[in-house]
Amino acid sequence: MTTTVRESAAADGGVHDLAVRTTGLRMRYGQRDVLDGLDLEIRRGELFGLLGPNGAGKSTTIEILEGYRRRSAGEVEVLGQDPERDDPSWRARIGIVLQSSRDHGRWRVGELLDHFAGYYAEPFDPAELLRTVGLSAQADQQTAKLSGGQRRRLDVAMGIIGRPELLFLDEPTTGFDPEARRDFHELIRGLRDVGGMTIVLTTHDMTEAQQLSDRIGILQAGRLTAVGTLDELAAAARARSEVRWTDHDGSPRRQLTADPSHAVWELHQQYGGPIPGLEVRRPTLEDTYLGMVSADLAESTANATATATATAIRTETP
Amino acid sequence: MNPFRLGLLRAAIELRQVLRSRKDFYSYLSTPLIFLAVAYWRAGGDKGQTTQLVPAGGVGSTIFMFGLMTVPQFLFGDREDGTLLRLRGVPGAMTAYLTGKTLFVLATMIASIAVLLLGGTALLGVGLPSSPTQWLTLCWVLLLGIAAVVPIGAAIGALLPAREALALYLMPVMGLIFVSGTFSPLRNLPTWLQDVASAFPLRWIAQGVRSALLPDAAKSYEPNGSWQHLATLGALTAWVLLGFLLAPRLLRRMAARESGSRLSEREQKRLTKAAY
Repeated sequence: MTTTVRESAAADGGVHDLAVRTTGLRMRYGQRDVLDGLDLEIRRGELFGLLGPNGAGKSTTIEILEGYRRRSAGEVEVLGQDPERDDPSWRARIGIVLQSSRDHGRWRVGELLDHFAGYYAEPFDPAELLRTVGLSAQADQQTAKLSGGQRRRLDVAMGIIGRPELLFLDEPTTGFDPEARRDFHELIRGLRDVGGMTIVLTTHDMTEAQQLSDRIGILQAGRLTAVGTLDELAAAARARSEVRWTDHDGSPRRQLTADPSHAVWELHQQYGGPIPGLEVRRPTLEDTYLGMVSADLAESTANATATATATAIRTETP
Repeated sequence: MNPFRLGLLRAAIELRQVLRSRKDFYSYLSTPLIFLAVAYWRAGGDKGQTTQLVPAGGVGSTIFMFGLMTVPQFLFGDREDGTLLRLRGVPGAMTAYLTGKTLFVLATMIASIAVLLLGGTALLGVGLPSSPTQWLTLCWVLLLGIAAVVPIGAAIGALLPAREALALYLMPVMGLIFVSGTFSPLRNLPTWLQDVASAFPLRWIAQGVRSALLPDAAKSYEPNGSWQHLATLGALTAWVLLGFLLAPRLLRRMAARESGSRLSEREQKRLTKAAY
């Protein structure tokens, strides 16, 4: 009996390093499984990027984790608690930034942030936070009069005003210009590095995911098909690096290889010295991602064809 | 901070928004002013019993319109623009929201009624109760009337699926204002229409308000020649109970169904419509 207790306590120690854990998470709409036994682990203090094609179940997953949607089956723990319980003390530890918002349009920016600070025990200083997101000059403006980028930054400020341990960011930079995007990324990194916040990000933008995420999960057809750092994903997808150089006759040459270092070493020997126009391009997240998504598509199509053929043969044989 | 105090704060901020915006301020003021104008116009020179009906009908209509038209529109608007979803993700914010909206609606309602009663007294010499008993009647009718329509309004706001439904819903509600004996004696209407009106709270609120504002002799204009206080109490209490039974359930259901993807979907639709 005593041993069991000690064991479970030890197991708990491990679990508490996780901000999010789902096992066998299932979400069924009518006849369709949008989430088909999803197993996901997000560690405390990391910036986790959740990627996937449209309809893969990203939004559903996030909404279940946020406590906005009831799951059909499976286990979910967010900050050590089932999000369906949705109690205020748990809510206070979660920050949410939704995709689109135009709520509280008639409120003034500063007034709104001050008001929302009131719901939390240890909020950030609203004026200071407004400065951090670069909206001090807009404090007396109505929120409906903000530009798209300014409104997004206000949304982030409202999402983190309560000093959450875990922040959900759903497609945060849609519609940003490059400069606003860069500033935004700095803000998000700061939250993780200085504030120690765990951040879960969904995005369509591969560059964004690559620049921000510590680890990335790829969701396809309701399952997590790959998870890891960018390098781990590239390795898993056998994504190849590209080595480019210029040949003796001036023509550009190109080689795809899983081991670019070895390829360059061989080229050096071949050229007996510096290689003209040498360029090594590591696989980007986009290469890896597209490689995975299209390989999976090809595979499932092949499987479907094989099954169909097998069925056809079986029906033919009496 | 305590969610009820935050609700008080929300009400104060939203009232200040109304006072700051000239357009809002006048649109809130327009309802009692229109009722006063109608009363003044119908009075002409003589101050007959029918003239006296109008301010009393205005009070009943104001309660009815705020409760069953303004409240659903507030709720609908706050659902459409994501306010409710935002509040759902914040600890205690839903309680604060409901507290704040209730206080806001009460304040604007009472202000409108005050304008109507004081204006009626100044312009027509009718408007305020003339005895302590009548004051008491006015108080309980107003309280019960407000409690009868506001929760029902919230329940309807939670049920309305789309903007088109809101417009469709508002029409019969407007219609009820004209058949509830607010502006002309109820007994002038066909009996079946009287029966229809009696199923809804406005008829009872209006009659109760008349009994508080008009001289006792005016009860001869009522359908059965009496103020029917007991029936008023019964009918309004039934609506109060129904409202408090339905509203919390429907509000909870509505809140549970809201999610980010639903909001984005609606937003997408709104933008597509706006583009055409």
